[in-house]
Amino acid sequence: MVISPVHYIALPLMAAFLIPLFGKINKELVRIIPGLVLLYLSYVSVTLMTQVLNGPMIVEIIAGWNPPWGINLVFSPFSGFLVSMMTMLGFLIWVYTYNFKPEVDYSQTTKFYTLFMMLITGTIGIVLTGDIFNLFVFLEITAISSYALTAFYRERDGAEASFKYILIGSFASFFILLAIVILYTQVGTLNMADIAQKMPAVDPYIKGTILLLFFIGFGIEAEMFPLNGWAPDVYTQAPGPIAAIFSGMVVKAGIYALIRVIFTLFDVPAVLNLLLIMGLITMVIAEVIAMRQERIKRMLAYSSIGQMGLVLVAFSIGTREAIFAAIFLMFNHAVIKGLLFLSATYLVYNSKDKEIKELDGMGKLMPFTSFMFALGAIAIVGLPPFAGFWSKLYILIAAADAHMIAVMAIILVISVIEIVYYFRVVHRIYFRKATSNTDIKIPTYNAKFTLLVLGLIIVVIGVYPDLIMGIIDKAAADLLDKQNYIQSVLSLR
Amino acid sequence: MDQLLTISFYGTAIALILIGLYAVLAKKNLLKIVIGLSIMDGGLHLLFVSIGYIKNGTAPIFSPEVLNTKVQMVDPVPQALVLTAIVIGFAVTAVALSLVIRLYRHHNTASIDEIKNLRW
Repeated sequence: MVISPVHYIALPLMAAFLIPLFGKINKELVRIIPGLVLLYLSYVSVTLMTQVLNGPMIVEIIAGWNPPWGINLVFSPFSGFLVSMMTMLGFLIWVYTYNFKPEVDYSQTTKFYTLFMMLITGTIGIVLTGDIFNLFVFLEITAISSYALTAFYRERDGAEASFKYILIGSFASFFILLAIVILYTQVGTLNMADIAQKMPAVDPYIKGTILLLFFIGFGIEAEMFPLNGWAPDVYTQAPGPIAAIFSGMVVKAGIYALIRVIFTLFDVPAVLNLLLIMGLITMVIAEVIAMRQERIKRMLAYSSIGQMGLVLVAFSIGTREAIFAAIFLMFNHAVIKGLLFLSATYLVYNSKDKEIKELDGMGKLMPFTSFMFALGAIAIVGLPPFAGFWSKLYILIAAADAHMIAVMAIILVISVIEIVYYFRVVHRIYFRKATSNTDIKIPTYNAKFTLLVLGLIIVVIGVYPDLIMGIIDKAAADLLDKQNYIQSVLSLR
Repeated sequence: MDQLLTISFYGTAIALILIGLYAVLAKKNLLKIVIGLSIMDGGLHLLFVSIGYIKNGTAPIFSPEVLNTKVQMVDPVPQALVLTAIVIGFAVTAVALSLVIRLYRHHNTASIDEIKNLRW
């Protein structure tokens, strides 16, 4: 079989709908197939990434319709890096979920993995596609499976959180579709490279309107203030591993769409200032609210919003090193926040309210999980020698080079706030006496394996950042090289 | 006459969007909110189709009559996109309605004011 980017879309989507059928043959296949698919896709990622890093970007034409008429997939260093990150994180999360519940209820498991695979298809599709309407379709696939997964547990208030998410998400898709409609009337094409080529001829006011609509629409998915009202409740009510997928993949896909639209489709420098302001507001407000949270997952959710604000700030500086730092932070955040959500899930496994004060003394009761949580907490606030340190350092250097002293100051103050609320939790875990009636749940070996791998990535990237910096540097160069993107796609005509 | 037609298309579309928006923002009943969302979607779909409309245009199918008589065809792309968008809207509505059922069973009410386990 020839390896091509189409596998990223076709295999998980096919697996999602065939899982119930395989379940009729052998119940165990329901749990195994998603893992096999994700393992194969990780192999595809490695193969394609080596190709792309040493050669031109791969543009895959679907069904023989050449661009700009047909849909094409673009596997460039930037999109390829994000997709590889997503598939590998997806595989690790699959390992974690394999026997998450002690008793396997196969009808529930079938539903879970069907939605899980659809969610992964959607997020990967958003990143890979080169067609703006196709991007909308994948966004909706992501959104619909997210709604269903948020409401997965009947005993929690998942339905309420999910309904809230649907209300906000519907507005997001409304704005994006409206933007696509107006865009189509102006340029008469839906191919992103073709749009980018024809964009300079469009009237600036109409351009601004379209960009604003996209900004609002994707801003909702990317947790941008004030459009992130859905996030804390969704993270709290969704199953633990799904929260890790939301912060590691769904939100990253939202950011990717926003950044791709701003950098490749439009060339309006003024929008970067808007992005900077929104990013700063998002960051400051989210981190301040995070400090006041009493529930662990809610705190992590607000921290996640804050970090996304920081990513937006880094992108908005707009220089190559800033974009490099932003992509680095996206990677680090996916890994570290994944580790935090996955370990926190076991720390509060049997607790009803999942409050921070129930974590007292967990360091003695659950040494491994607590250690992993502490590792994640230290890494995400940006202390050396862990992965989070480098991305924050590069963002600060980029801001300094762009003479944005105020931005640097705000980032540093925010880091202090982060240290305060993360270390408050770590302090409770290690330096308080356990309450007698704590009902703990020891992680399964699969879960321990996932936590260990994520922890190792954090340490190894922290000590040898060069391992990954070369790839990220190419990804940053790729995002800024708009002409190369246009030509690679349209030369296939 | 032509202008009247155009205005009525766009006017209806915008009116539908505003009606839907009103229902989503002002109504307290969960079902009415879901209906409002669908009406909003419907308005947007109508707007999209009317953009591709050409007066006296035929269906965008290459048939001998069309090629010989040089009748203009309407733009097929918006129609294809709207079909996709309708399917997506259907799926979202289905999920939303199933959530409303779940919420009703759990809280015994469909009023958004009385469902407040989470902060809104």
